Amino acid sequence: MKPAGFDYYAPRSLEEALRILGDAEREGRVLAGGQSLMPMLNCRLLSPEVLVDINRIEALNRMDVAKDSLTVGALVRHAHLLHDDGVRAGWPLLFEATKQVAHPAIRNRGTVCGSVAHNDPAAEHPSVLVTLDGTVVIAGAAGRRELPAEQFFTGILSTALQPGEMVVALRYPRAPTGTGAGFVEFARRLGDFAMGGAAATLTMRKGVCERARLTIVGMGEGPFRARAAEEVLTARRLSTDDCRDAFAEAAAKVTAAVEPANDVHASSSYRRHLAGVMTQRALEMALARAGAH
Amino acid sequence: MSDARFVNQRAVGSPVLPDEAIPLVEGDGRFLNDIRLPGMYHVTFLRSQHAHARIRAVDTAKARALPGVVTVLTGKELLGKVEPFRSMPNRFSGGESVQHWLAVDKVRFCGEAICAVVAEDRATAEDAAELIVVDYEPLPVVTDPRLGEQDGAPLVHDSCPNNYLIKREYERGNVDEAFASAHLVVKRRFRIGRKQALCLEGRGCVAGYRESTFGLTLWISHQLPYVVRHYLANHLRMAENDIRVVVPHTGGGFGQKASIYPEEFICAYLALTLRRAVKWVEDRLENMVASTHARDQAIEVAAAVDREGRILALSSDVCVDVGAYSTYLWSAGMEPLQTAGLMPGPYKVPAMRYRTRGVATNKTPVGPYRAVGRPSASASLELLLDEVARRLEIDPVDVRQRNLIPIEAMPYRNANNLVHDNVNYLPCLKLAVAKSQYERLRAEQREARANGKLRGIGVACYAELTGLGTSTAVGPGTLLQPGRDAVTLRLETTGVLSIAAALPSQGQRIMTAMRQVACDELGISLDDITCVINDTAMAPYGFGTFASRTAVFGSGAVIQAAKELRRRILALGAHLLDVAIDEVTIVNSVIQTIDRSKKLAIREMAEKSYFSAKNIPPELNPGFEVTAFYDPKFGSFAGGAHIAVVDVDTQTGEVKIVRYVAAEDVGTIINPAVVEGQIIGGIAQGIGEALLEELVYDEAGQPRTITLADYLVPSALEIPRIELHHANTPSAALGGFKGCGEGSIIGALGAVACAVADALNRRGGDIHEFPATPERVLKGLGVLPGEV
Amino acid sequence: MAREQIIRLTVNGRSYERTVPVRLSLADFIREHLHLTGTHLGCEHGVCGACTVSMNGRSVRSCLILAVQADGAEIVTIEGLRAADGTRHPMQQAFLENFGLQCGYCTPGMLITAIELLRENPQPSEQDVREALSGNICRCTGYQAIVDSVLAVAQATPGVEK
Repeated sequence: MKPAGFDYYAPRSLEEALRILGDAEREGRVLAGGQSLMPMLNCRLLSPEVLVDINRIEALNRMDVAKDSLTVGALVRHAHLLHDDGVRAGWPLLFEATKQVAHPAIRNRGTVCGSVAHNDPAAEHPSVLVTLDGTVVIAGAAGRRELPAEQFFTGILSTALQPGEMVVALRYPRAPTGTGAGFVEFARRLGDFAMGGAAATLTMRKGVCERARLTIVGMGEGPFRARAAEEVLTARRLSTDDCRDAFAEAAAKVTAAVEPANDVHASSSYRRHLAGVMTQRALEMALARAGAH
Repeated sequence: MSDARFVNQRAVGSPVLPDEAIPLVEGDGRFLNDIRLPGMYHVTFLRSQHAHARIRAVDTAKARALPGVVTVLTGKELLGKVEPFRSMPNRFSGGESVQHWLAVDKVRFCGEAICAVVAEDRATAEDAAELIVVDYEPLPVVTDPRLGEQDGAPLVHDSCPNNYLIKREYERGNVDEAFASAHLVVKRRFRIGRKQALCLEGRGCVAGYRESTFGLTLWISHQLPYVVRHYLANHLRMAENDIRVVVPHTGGGFGQKASIYPEEFICAYLALTLRRAVKWVEDRLENMVASTHARDQAIEVAAAVDREGRILALSSDVCVDVGAYSTYLWSAGMEPLQTAGLMPGPYKVPAMRYRTRGVATNKTPVGPYRAVGRPSASASLELLLDEVARRLEIDPVDVRQRNLIPIEAMPYRNANNLVHDNVNYLPCLKLAVAKSQYERLRAEQREARANGKLRGIGVACYAELTGLGTSTAVGPGTLLQPGRDAVTLRLETTGVLSIAAALPSQGQRIMTAMRQVACDELGISLDDITCVINDTAMAPYGFGTFASRTAVFGSGAVIQAAKELRRRILALGAHLLDVAIDEVTIVNSVIQTIDRSKKLAIREMAEKSYFSAKNIPPELNPGFEVTAFYDPKFGSFAGGAHIAVVDVDTQTGEVKIVRYVAAEDVGTIINPAVVEGQIIGGIAQGIGEALLEELVYDEAGQPRTITLADYLVPSALEIPRIELHHANTPSAALGGFKGCGEGSIIGALGAVACAVADALNRRGGDIHEFPATPERVLKGLGVLPGEV
Repeated sequence: MAREQIIRLTVNGRSYERTVPVRLSLADFIREHLHLTGTHLGCEHGVCGACTVSMNGRSVRSCLILAVQADGAEIVTIEGLRAADGTRHPMQQAFLENFGLQCGYCTPGMLITAIELLRENPQPSEQDVREALSGNICRCTGYQAIVDSVLAVAQATPGVEK
């Protein structure tokens, strides 16, 4: 399982990287962590002509914890997030989800931006970005642009990236006070691709849900923003003793709306059912944590 | 480590640290891919993308032209030069399957090799393989054995009507009468998915041309070096002793490396024709389709029982999807014949009947894999016994106790014509029940559980026939009858004892075991004993490592040879010490009189024997090298009882094993730590069978589980801490040893399957199909629609 | 054509300079070019963990890293765990004494991963150990002896209060 040949570049500046990528058009791939790309190359599922290794671009290896937002550069590894107290305290959903990405050796190398750019339907980061109302910062030869998370993910393993473009950073706004977060996923084994999962936040004020955000993982087309479920919960009175009905309603909205895929691990009917279960569990977790504020 | 620690003065029974593990822990192992010869070429195979197709043409021109490519071999070029693999004769064959080393007119499974590409490095060979163009004419595909065995179904082999590669019916005792007069008849279906051994190291070989004095040297990741040598000589028309087969460190075998495959034979052929060393390493994508699969069985089993739940008769119908060819060496008969034939397990079965068949399909061929047909047979019967227990309202433990063959009844000939002796099934069950505090487990289960989880308890008893001698078939119906292996013991010039056998290890510590036995038999210190097990140039003939036999054969042959070697040592020692032979013994490598007044180190005796022979009467110096063959004639039954406790999440279908107790009878233990490792390793694979592992094919015969992200084996989180106990009874084999490599996988599949079914039963659900994936569990609970 | 490059790196404390094909994996570089065959290939897609080495102090899958990416890096493999005088690393010794290996194929990855675990969490629970090792597949042992080996090292090391 040796990859097909390619031209390899390891530029030291973003400008150079974008130039090479631009010239390569559809034949160029960005190599960041390589934890998704290299398996595909080794299996010869992909044979790009040009590999642009961005690991030497220091400017991309930055993570900024600011008052209002967290900015994660393209070279920030999953492990990097897990070792940061600021992230743990300020973006608990992101922290919880990152803990469940694969295994230590993968987390040491794989990048958050890479996971988002790859958009595997079972991945954690795309859904977390959507739930947290994140922004994707894109750079190309023509310059920079930014997209809200939901507009970035366009389908299975597909994003709004044009040939010659790459993700250079992600921005996560800080959640309003009173927000609790819950991330759950269910995989056959810990670290496997999730068969289903949910990333939820509930912003509570005086026992009423001011804002609900819910994205479902693993349904087949990428992160699924469960708007109908969010509507059911918004402006609803919720307490840990009295939330079952509301959460069941939300779950029902989810199972009615998702169109999950079939594969060797689970059928679409199982995934649909699981989406409902994950919804309820994520919401329960989020509510409990909102109460902890 | 477990509490079963035998602390004594003897080496046998002690957890001797294995010197053979030192290179492995230091990174100095020599596995197949670590071997490099000057000028060596690399081989990769172009494999079929179709499950069933005629090959109209193969265009290798572009591949041959790629710089760095040496040659591309096709099936047509091999025709007439080598004999294809014709399925091993088996008394129960439905027809013959012929497998060309490289497909000629037809491919019959996705992954079947079509071309061998030889290049200066592996990456170039793979580049070249992508340039080969094959013109396929797709043919109708057979993927469901139930459909495949019907009249009019497409045939995988024209010579096998109804796609039967193997077929047998058997009856003993008056089955119809038993069923007619029974108090209760219970029927149950059972299905287990396709799986594979998933050795962490795939197959591979380095074929060397004229390395030292041998025309062909084959380094091969394999379990049976002498068998490989025999068939190489056969197929390549070479003298057997012009071939040397060496097994390097091997990363797992489990039976998958016990068949004869085309790839290594092609490499041998290439080395001889190119006159260069040639290497092939099976990568993981290849391994998923090119190495033998296992299980994939549909069983219907019925029991006629009396009002106490005692079995009066068993009847079973077994259908195995054996893939596209009858594997060379063991034949397609392994799983079908063993599953049906060994259905009774450790229970008294006065009468039985079965109908079994191995149906060819367009999938990777099925070969032997740890415990072969026994896990499926056992699990289907254990689930059936639980149902009997439910219907008669008795405890599952009670129904088993009433049916297990007690030691007082032994030797006991069961309806499958196997004689159980020197094995104690009931104490194993009693021990497992006691140590697990079974009554309390059931009480806890009865209490309402508020955490959304269903608790299930599974009990499974098993029998495993190990160390089979010549009188009992490993592969039922085959004309290939192993059963005698040899060991050579030799005193070297420095007095070190070297043991040589053709019993390769894949981690079972065979070298250490044989050294321990030799230490006790001869009185030579462990530090003065070495062992070689992997090289036909150094070892006497032996069939190899499979079917839980190395402890019995290796040790038995050591004991046999040691008797004679000891006699010779004492004879010369007594002469040199000028005492009578019955006055001397050997302790810690020293020949000494019983009163220890006179001593002679073996080292000194050996030096004298080699270098001062003229001073020794020749009849006392016949050479200190003894080869002995050992045939235990019969097999030695091992047995055990496993109890698994699971929690089932009724929302996700997740199954978690919360407790696991195993009580085993593995005979006299040579190295308790090694035995523990084997048992727990087997349990882990059984848990994999029960909950995780399944190779999936679609209707076009395309494999859908092609990477390790799809085919799931247990990680450290899926295997609980195993509580291991022993109730050992020595076997009748020399030393009282038994094999223990395969028993625990039988117990584990049964115990976990029963535990899951038991949990589902709390809610009126059930499950017949395994692995018990979350989806199957939810279907079994009725949370999702569908039969399971 | 950027298909070959010179790399300079340190492996087990020794410096190397080599010209390598750009598509060569770090695993194959270590094994084929430096003849350090202790690191094993079990899947070449990052799942089995047998190829795990330490790169710049962190465990990584060497089958998913190109050798050219390791230019300037410090690599430690199983062969580099021994002390300068040849004494085995305590983890290696523990695996030996606790029978934490059978065929030995997964052992390189297990050792590197376990050593990293104890560096980050010197007194792990059994569950912690199993979770940390869950990305390293073993087909022989059923994991119990491996877990016991790691816990034995943790217990033998002077305690750090959790």
